[in-house]
Amino acid sequence: MRIEKCYFCSTNVYPGHGSAFVRNDAKVFRFCTSKCHKNFKMKRNPRKVRWTKAFRKAAGKEMTIDSTIDFEKRRNVPVRYDRNLVQTTIKAMKRVEEIKGRRERAFFKNRMAVSREKQRVHRRKTTEAVKASVKLHVPNTVESSETSKVREKIKISAKSSTALVRGEGRSMGMDID
Amino acid sequence: MGRLRRSRTHHARRDVHRSNRTRVRSRDLDLIQLIDLDPKNRAALEAQPLDFEKPGLGQHYCVECAKYYETDAALQSHWRSKVHKRRCKELKEPAYTIEEAERAAGLGREGKRPTASMPVEMDTISGT
Repeated sequence: MRIEKCYFCSTNVYPGHGSAFVRNDAKVFRFCTSKCHKNFKMKRNPRKVRWTKAFRKAAGKEMTIDSTIDFEKRRNVPVRYDRNLVQTTIKAMKRVEEIKGRRERAFFKNRMAVSREKQRVHRRKTTEAVKASVKLHVPNTVESSETSKVREKIKISAKSSTALVRGEGRSMGMDID
Repeated sequence: MGRLRRSRTHHARRDVHRSNRTRVRSRDLDLIQLIDLDPKNRAALEAQPLDFEKPGLGQHYCVECAKYYETDAALQSHWRSKVHKRRCKELKEPAYTIEEAERAAGLGREGKRPTASMPVEMDTISGT
């Protein structure tokens, strides 16, 4: 059983899944989903599509140089079954995975620390720019409290016409006047 | 019974579908970059024998864009166009290949030595 890699997003393609395109020079392009296949048909460059593994690697968002990455390989020489070998291999796989995870976490932490610092500097710069551009004025002095006038009553004629039709809670009718 | 199927299911995209067919598929960037742009191949492509099936008898071919033109004037104006310049720019950087996809997935080639002889231990955490 061979687990292939998707041409577009580089995820695993298990037997019986996805689709393949064979170009007329016998190169096989495998796709995990129709999404990847469609993107390929649109002639997009996976290095420029942000959700692909190729982008993440090319943009320095993931580990590229590490000894733990080198274990997975396309091996074209079949190995005779050996119980001990299988056992040790499985043990080693678990161990390698553990170490890889730890290194990835460290890498992520480091990357985030750098980006957070950058963001902080940027934020400070923008706030300073805003402060520089906005000029605060001293409000005009308010006169003493005696000037606060008593509100006058405004007479409104009882026949003030309103647009509302007084229906007194009943249904709206045209006949009420 | 009346009509059950809803209308407008074909999206009026006939030309889009036609241009996506495998038989009209144009040459990929990696093929152009690795094979066609090689000076020897390029000369052969630019001086093709008369072919009655190809546009302009196969005499006016743009190697970068993998396209035949009817006349020399059309080819010349194509070389001055934005499409051609954009294509040349795309060809400057290395094309994306299956190998790169596999490398991005962390699938190496056998026969290649591991990049560094770093011992796999508990306390070696590379944080770069």
